[in-house]
Order: sequence, then C-alpha cells, then structure tokens
Amino acid sequence: MNSRNTGNPLPGIAAIICTALALTACASTAPTCISPLTKNLDSALASVQASLVNGCQAHFDRYYDNLLTIAEGDPKPENKREFSEFLVWANANGLLSNRQAENYYNRYFNVKFMAMKGDYNNCSNTCPNKQQVFLNLERELSDKERGLMKVSRDADGYYRADKLFQQIELVLTATCTACSAGR
Amino acid sequence: MRVQVAFIDPALACLNNNEKAGVMRTILHLCTLGIVILAAQGAAANTPTIRLFPTTVVEDLRQTSNVARDMETGLQEVIGRLDQQHDLYQETKCSGAEDDPGCQRLAKQIGATYLEMLTIMAERLPDMEHTVNNTRKSLEKGLRNELGKKMTPWKLQETLIGANSTRAISQSAPALRGRSGMRLSERFQQYYQLVATSGAKGDQSLAVLASDIYLDMEETSVLIQRTRQEIARATLMEQLNQSFGIITPEMIEVVGGVKSILFGDDDGQPLVAGPPPGSIDQAYRSPLEN
Repeated sequence: MNSRNTGNPLPGIAAIICTALALTACASTAPTCISPLTKNLDSALASVQASLVNGCQAHFDRYYDNLLTIAEGDPKPENKREFSEFLVWANANGLLSNRQAENYYNRYFNVKFMAMKGDYNNCSNTCPNKQQVFLNLERELSDKERGLMKVSRDADGYYRADKLFQQIELVLTATCTACSAGR
Repeated sequence: MRVQVAFIDPALACLNNNEKAGVMRTILHLCTLGIVILAAQGAAANTPTIRLFPTTVVEDLRQTSNVARDMETGLQEVIGRLDQQHDLYQETKCSGAEDDPGCQRLAKQIGATYLEMLTIMAERLPDMEHTVNNTRKSLEKGLRNELGKKMTPWKLQETLIGANSTRAISQSAPALRGRSGMRLSERFQQYYQLVATSGAKGDQSLAVLASDIYLDMEETSVLIQRTRQEIARATLMEQLNQSFGIITPEMIEVVGGVKSILFGDDDGQPLVAGPPPGSIDQAYRSPLEN
C-alpha cells in the first residue's frame, strides 16, 4: 500500500501538462468563423472572403445570409454586382461549384425561378409533385423579394418575378389538370 | 455548275461570252437567293410553335358565346319580370302578411315566373354544356400535348418569360381568372376574339390565355352539371310551394346567383396594382444568370 502512495508522481503530472498543451494548441489553430461585424458591405465581403479561405467554407450559407442582411441596410442596384462578383470569386476558389454559384445568385437576384429546373416533361415529373413545386416557388419568391426589392432596390424586377409566379401557377394548374384528365 | 452551264448553253447560243457570263451570274444569284429563301422557310418551319388553339377551339368558343347569348336573351325578360314582382311584393308590405289573399296571389305569380326561369335554364343548359365541354376537351388536348408532354418546367418558364417581355401583349390581355362583372356571352365573345386574333401574338401569351380559358371552362362545366341537378330539385320544390303560395329565401338566392353568373356583378371587379417605380435600363446582368 505504502509503496503505491509514495510512487513517483512525475509521469502523471507530465501527462496532464501534455494534454493541456495539446488542447490549447488545437484551440488556437481552429478558425473562429465569426459573422462579419461591420455594416459596410464591401468590408463585410472582404471579411467573409478571408474567413472562407481560412477554413470556414462550411459556414457559407450563414455568411451569405449575413451579407444579404448587411446589404439590406444599404439597398442599391449595384449590390447585385457585388453579390455576383462574390459568387464568381467563390466559384473560382473552389468553394462553390458553378451550379451552386448560379443557384445562389439566381434564387435571389434573377426573375427566373430555379425551382422550375427540371429535365423531364411536366406531365410526368412536375405534375405529380405540383404542391411541392408551388411551395418551392413561393419560398423562392420570398427570397427574390429580399434580393431584388430589399437588397437591390429593383422593384420592377420583383414585380416581374411575382407576375411570372402567378402565370406559372395558372399555367401549371391548367396543364396538370389536362395531364391528369388524359390518363 | 458545269451541268448547269451545259444545260443552259444552247439557249444562250445567240449571246457573246460576256453576255453569257452576265446571264450565268444572274442565274447563279437567283439560285443562291432561292436556296436562302428555302432555308429561311425551313428554319421558320422548324421554329417550335405551340399549337394550343386549333380552328376547332375558335369555332367552339364562337358557338359557346352564341349559346350563352341565347340563354341570356331568354332569361333577361323573365328575370326582369321576377324583379318587378318581387319589388311589388315588398312595396305592398306582403312580408309578414302571407295569409292575405292578395299577397298569396302575388307570391304564386312570383313562384310561376321562377318556375319559368328554371324551365328556360333547363332547356338551354344542355346546349351550353355541350359547347363548353367541346371547347374544354380541345384545349385539354392542346395543353396536355404542347405544355405537358413537350415541355420541361424550365422550357415552360422560358416561354412565359417571353410573354413578360412583350409588354404590349400582356397589357392587352384580359385580367386573369376569377373575372366577374361581365356577361357570360361577353366573356366567351372576348375569349373568341382574343383567340381568333391570336395570330399576331406570341406563343407565350397564348399559353396563359389557353390555361385561363381551360380552367374557366372546367369550372363552368362543373357549375352547369350542378345547376342541372339543382334545377330538377328546385322545380319540384317550387311546384309544391305553388300550392301554398310561399316565397322561399332560396328562390331569391337562386335568382340572385343566376343574375350574377349571367349578367355579371359590377361590385366584384378585382383591383389591379399599378406598376412599381423603377427602370429596367439600370438592371445589372450577372454572368451567373441563366
């Protein structure tokens, strides 16, 4: 019993110190990935770009949302270009695929609906999922309101998107009714 | 070219070499022009066009408009008489004095006119149903084949985007579904005119127009079916009521409904939002745009 109590405590202490050092080392190298603190879009873009190349690419969605929120504070038509250039940069740096970059841009800043992407005909593919398609269109219209109206001050673009949404809804409803009647 | 020269040479025997060369050049130009024209025609023929309104649809729409007008004409007089009788009933304070013999006679007259209205509707509705169904079926086939089977959702959107860019067409097009305040026959007449003159319009607005008319026909068809069923029931009920001389609230409701369907309801005009301020000239086009 005695021999165990009076044993050399050094290996245990060394192990604790080593673990503590290792933990500290990990904490110091992991990216913090904090959201941009500035309200200026250009500075925010620079900050986000720096974070993204420093290992925060997994947070892309959050950063994009942060940038949109910051841009909403100073809406202007030029913001469209800023976002486009940012996404082109992200694509060039391998953070996004070409298709992803297109989706991020068009979902917010283009009149056309990405929810209407599809390689098969309407009767066989769109109509069976009509409700889901309508829901996706509605969500995308809401994103377009943010991108076109609140960020880019492009009311005309948003109203065209809204009109297109209504037309798609009408034409798809009629087409799907006709498709189901032909079965 | 050598073959051509050999073939034409005897005809040009009287001309000198320079003149022959000039004639040959002219022939060559004409041939080239011919090929260009043929190629252009071929290209135009290859351009995808949406065939949503074959001549049968145009004819069906015209006929539907005529049938609706006949029905309106037949009903207008009866409904006018019903309104007068109802006004007289109200003015003579018959409500609450149903036991009065004069009021009973008036109520019976109203009931008889109501029966007359139901009979006219029962007679005209089958024709109406027939023409509406014909139009609906023709449009259904066009929509299914042209927009349903030949198009992907993206292509459909591209087609509609074209419609939005041609502003003049969009503005001249009627308001979308749920229109009211318009006579039934006028509505079909307007459809007919829009479709009959649609040659000058793009395929895009036709897709919207065809969808609008088709859904309207679909609803009208269902409405006619229900109305025909209801007429049989209402006629029986009124024949029973005739013996008692009562005016039921249902009668007033039915007459009001028929009036609003056939002759429109001015209060129901939908409000259309004005265009927002802004210009497309300043629009930025990203390289990422599809």
